[in-house]
Amino acid sequence: MEALLRAADHDVQPALSPEQFARFCDFFYHHTGILFGESKRYFVERRVLDRIRASGSEDFRDYFALIRFDASGRELQSLVNAMTVNETYFFREDYQFAALTSDVLPYLAGLRQRPIRIWSLPCSTGEEPYSIAIAILENWNDADEHAIEIHASDIDSEVLAQARAGIYGQRSLQRLSAQLRARYFTALPGERFRLHEAIRSSIDFGPVNVVDPRSMARYRDMDVVFCRNLLIYFDDLSRRQAVEAIYESLAPGGFVFLGHSESMSRMSSLFQPRKVSDSIVYQKPLDGE
Amino acid sequence: MPLVRADRAADPSAEGHGDSGDPHALLEELYAAEASRRRAAARNLAMYPHAAPALCARLVVEPAASVRSVIFTALIGLRSDAAVQGLLPCLRSEDVALRNAAIEALGHMPDVLEPYIRSLLEDDDSDVRIFAVNVLGALAHAQAPRWLEAVLRCDPHVNVCAAAVEGLAELGDQESRSALVDLPGRFPDEPFIAFATKAALARIGTV
Amino acid sequence: MSHKRILVVDDALTVRLFYRDVLERAGFEVTEAGNGIEGLERALGDHFDLLLVDINMPLMDGYEMVRHLREDPGLHSVPVVAISTEAKDADVERAYRAGANVYMIKPVRPARLTHTAQLLTGARAS
Repeated sequence: MEALLRAADHDVQPALSPEQFARFCDFFYHHTGILFGESKRYFVERRVLDRIRASGSEDFRDYFALIRFDASGRELQSLVNAMTVNETYFFREDYQFAALTSDVLPYLAGLRQRPIRIWSLPCSTGEEPYSIAIAILENWNDADEHAIEIHASDIDSEVLAQARAGIYGQRSLQRLSAQLRARYFTALPGERFRLHEAIRSSIDFGPVNVVDPRSMARYRDMDVVFCRNLLIYFDDLSRRQAVEAIYESLAPGGFVFLGHSESMSRMSSLFQPRKVSDSIVYQKPLDGE
Repeated sequence: MPLVRADRAADPSAEGHGDSGDPHALLEELYAAEASRRRAAARNLAMYPHAAPALCARLVVEPAASVRSVIFTALIGLRSDAAVQGLLPCLRSEDVALRNAAIEALGHMPDVLEPYIRSLLEDDDSDVRIFAVNVLGALAHAQAPRWLEAVLRCDPHVNVCAAAVEGLAELGDQESRSALVDLPGRFPDEPFIAFATKAALARIGTV
Repeated sequence: MSHKRILVVDDALTVRLFYRDVLERAGFEVTEAGNGIEGLERALGDHFDLLLVDINMPLMDGYEMVRHLREDPGLHSVPVVAISTEAKDADVERAYRAGANVYMIKPVRPARLTHTAQLLTGARAS
């Protein structure tokens, strides 16, 4: 019944067969590391059908041949953009912040005799670097005994300006407890909240272009890079350049956190996967030249 | 307050050195003692098409994985005939990692690689033929299925054909069916071949 | 009695499907990975009684994967079968030095695969 209803509002475009759906998900996983399951079927189908139309393909078979054999990779890029959701909010995928404070920071504290450096890239409107700051202050017991630098970068100067301002709406704070909200934010008129000055001023915000080596050269000897949900948007060449640039920016033994459904297994072997309390983190070898 | 602010963004002194300087100097830097200098050199040489042979020459002797990665990226960026010619010998290397990285890199250059495919598929060394088939399997080239079908019909080596079956499982179409159906008859004593061809046929039927 | 769990690491889909078919018939539970890094991620994330690792894989080959595997204290002694198209002594030695327990040559035959898996996992023959 659902399929009929959907067919009706899609101008009689047929949905994908189970085999086509599986084939598509296989291919998409192989190319981006992002795995869609049965639960995402409507989400995926909808967007694939949109792309079939937009690309002028006759049907799924035609479209599938296009994305597999088009050397330019343009349609694949459009497809990836269509498939990925851009929402950002405080404490998104916070199990990674837990891994940071319970395991990664203590490990680095034992290793480094200088400030520990964390980099949020891209930082977008600031939710990620500010979440890292709050997570550290709230959950790392030894935080007071160490100096921690948090750097945050994005290619988009507008979002950087918003990040520096540190003003957010309800939606962005949905995962924060009332306690944390009260502790770190001031309520503003119109259901907006402003992050306290002490936190805002503790983050070093700056513009960066991940595939421009000169831009990236300003960041060296980093210990942790959060690079979540960025690399999936790149084509193969740019992705290689970006991963190599991140490698360059890290001190030996430094870590990379990717997005929840991303994996280095489709990108590069420069990093060693490590299990850290239920998440996979990638480490630059300690003897990494 | 453990969080300290350290401004990186506006620090011009941290600009990278070795940025697109004299190509001759860069070629020398490819042999520098520090891996970071070699990487910077390779990265900058990526804009000089004539550097492809020198990059490939360094690749073969380069011990650091991070430098090899940047060299491969530079070659992929160049995507030139010279890059292909420099990478092809890597298919014969004893170094498994180098071989596989070369296969991957060649897979990014389908059009430039095309003129070489036939001779690779006819190489005396079955390992080279397997690697050529693996490259084909990753190639975004419309002719790839036809070349793979030809392998299935003619290649005497079971593992070369097995690799071609795998390629067709990914890229095959209706035209590929007959070559696949006939393959188990060529290798009647190999259960893997019987299974793999069935699997490939099933997959072709789904698109 | 719970099933013994096997991780199959090979970049070729048809090969993974083949091993799955053979091993599931013999009562094993099979998980797949498409290259060495993914294999490491899976091995770190879950318990396996046996790993089948292809040597020729993109991004991270089998030798490197097994070496990294053996560095992890939890994975130090999980049985590993290295599988390759190569038959030269040098390659076999290399696999053993990396930490593999058994070396097999492709194409693998079902009876040999099943028997080896049963032997290395201590599973009873059905």
